[in-house]
Amino acid sequence: MTEILTGAQIMCRELAAAGIDVIFGYPGGAIMPFYHALPEYPGLRHILVRHEQAAAHAADGYARASGRVGVAVATSGPGATNLVTGIATAHMDSSPVLAITGQVGRSMIGRDAFQETDVIGLTLPITKYSHLVQDISELADIMRTAIAVAQEGRPGPVLVDVPKDVQNQKAPYTPPASAPRPASPADAADGIAQAAKLIAAAERPLVMIGHGVILSGAYAEVRALAEKTGMPVITTLLGISAFPESHPLHLGMPGMHGEVHVNRAIQHADVIVGIGLRFDDRVTGNVAGFAPRAKIIHLELDRAEIGKNVPVAVGIVGDARELTRQLVAAVAPRRCGPWLAEIQGFARPKVESFSGDLSPEAILGAIHETTGGECTIVTDVGQHQMWVAKHYPYRRANTHITSGGLGTMGFAVPAAMGVHLARPGELVWAISGDGGFQMNMAEMATMVQEGLSVKMAIFNNGYLGMVRQWQQFFHEKRYSSTPIWSPDYVKLADAYGIPGWRVTDRGQLGDVVSRANAEPGPALVEFVIAQEANVYPMIPPGGSLSEPIEARPAGAPAA
Amino acid sequence: MPAAFYAVSVLFDDEILTFNRVIGVVRRRNLETKEFGVGPSERAGALRLTFFVQADEANAERLLRQLEKTHGVRHAAVFTSAEAVAGGVTLVKVNARAHERAAVLAVLSDYQASVVDEGPETVIAVGCGQDAAALVRALEPFGVLELARSGALLRRAPRSRPVLTHSPSEAVL
Repeated sequence: MTEILTGAQIMCRELAAAGIDVIFGYPGGAIMPFYHALPEYPGLRHILVRHEQAAAHAADGYARASGRVGVAVATSGPGATNLVTGIATAHMDSSPVLAITGQVGRSMIGRDAFQETDVIGLTLPITKYSHLVQDISELADIMRTAIAVAQEGRPGPVLVDVPKDVQNQKAPYTPPASAPRPASPADAADGIAQAAKLIAAAERPLVMIGHGVILSGAYAEVRALAEKTGMPVITTLLGISAFPESHPLHLGMPGMHGEVHVNRAIQHADVIVGIGLRFDDRVTGNVAGFAPRAKIIHLELDRAEIGKNVPVAVGIVGDARELTRQLVAAVAPRRCGPWLAEIQGFARPKVESFSGDLSPEAILGAIHETTGGECTIVTDVGQHQMWVAKHYPYRRANTHITSGGLGTMGFAVPAAMGVHLARPGELVWAISGDGGFQMNMAEMATMVQEGLSVKMAIFNNGYLGMVRQWQQFFHEKRYSSTPIWSPDYVKLADAYGIPGWRVTDRGQLGDVVSRANAEPGPALVEFVIAQEANVYPMIPPGGSLSEPIEARPAGAPAA
Repeated sequence: MPAAFYAVSVLFDDEILTFNRVIGVVRRRNLETKEFGVGPSERAGALRLTFFVQADEANAERLLRQLEKTHGVRHAAVFTSAEAVAGGVTLVKVNARAHERAAVLAVLSDYQASVVDEGPETVIAVGCGQDAAALVRALEPFGVLELARSGALLRRAPRSRPVLTHSPSEAVL
């Protein structure tokens, strides 16, 4: 059935046809025809953010929580440039985000028109696909390609730039008929057989899992692999929650802030099965010293990742879930008892991050207990992010969402809005430091206007804490520009009509967090924590996993 | 592994955005590059880009893998410079006054360059192949007025294979 529609209507129809029900955006001159058409499509709920960066992060959070495409809409020029940080964040963390930008009319392109920016050029290195639509006749195809490419293979952001006059053009439109292109199954038999042989012969094998396990939903397969072979499992920052924290074979997070026994296990391992991860430098430390005894088996969807950072013995390209399923079938059952005992021997006694009353562990414990472990935690970037990664006892898959690769401060609050919309009816906590929270705290207005129930936690230590920690360790304690002033967050929340609490001692924790959970809408809790709390242990940047800086007993001079 | 020049050949959709993406993958590393040549290929709707890049082997391989996954790239291959024979086309305008014209034409003939245009005091000629630099050197005494060269047009050296390549059926082992 063919109808005559405007470009803007075609854009809306294509979004709806792709199953998209929420878009995040901010109107402006060059995108006004799209906003004119939008009310005709009530199936597309529009969330008006306070800054386009938040639209991109919210779309990213929505995509990560739902597994569907997240959509961010902005006008040309400053609207488009404000999306860039969010697109780069999605690119580094393989998140399927569709950015739609208005562009100046075709006759004005290249004339430095008002609010004209070459957004395609700006985003080329951080998008999988992008296109400036030249004519309405190609608009529907470009929208379809963009939405398909965002989700195909390793997901990632895409951008469609639509000149204002193309949005207003009229043309015949035929709705899409075909289903998404199916992925071709991997032919991996040789590699799998070789991997199974290496695992059988290993004395100290272990599994490292990353975001690919979450993106492919390979939870049961990874668990089956671990349980059939007794291999312990390490979860990278973006792999956290893909394997139950309480499982006896779960070791923890590796790398710069990994526990000592996790990193020592890597350094002693003779076989490492890496599934859906990219051996990022925060995981490996100095690559030359990483896992010196290990033969690495790498199961990964993106061929360009195999051998990119670490040399591999066996690299197999394909979907993490499918490859892990095949590997489970191929491996012989075995146990790793002596190896697990050896790893236990590496472990350090558990110490809280600092001796103060209100420790990050206590705060996270309260959130976990009062929500029954059922909420999704969205973190920002810095010390609180590492404390959450290390101490939050995740039970459900894909309930830990954070900016990993790009390390984008300001991510948590807007991303949590997207998570809330993907998982209505579930609790979402956005945990930020006092630095990152102040980057996108204007989104509290969005939460109120749109009725988004996001619970905000601020770990306030009066510093840009992770930078301060680096200054303490590596820059002679010269705290240059890291003390950061905060407003009265409780009063600030009140100004937005959001209930807020300030917690200064452990005794208040359970009560306040429970009250925040019980609020039907957004709520804010500021946790005033010690100023010089550190994240231990820490591998110095460029250092080997064998050389951690460890916590000192209280009162002893810092490292 | 010390850096060396590798010859790179990329076949991709004939579309400026794809071209831009391909160049972006190279540009991002800011490695030394030379002799970019781009134009239509044997396949309809596909351009072929060839160039040299100075890299160590690991970086050359990463470059290849990232080129391969770039949207619109159909095929990419990397050769050591020994395994690639670089040609090219040179268009040169050279002084050819009456008393030197015979000498100029003799040089052009030696290098198998073809005269495509003649003026009263100049000659425009096209030369092909690896001898372009030598041709230009030989013409310099007469006065080279203008010069335009294509980038490298690569062909595989006899019996050589790309050091790094990928086809969908190839297992990574």
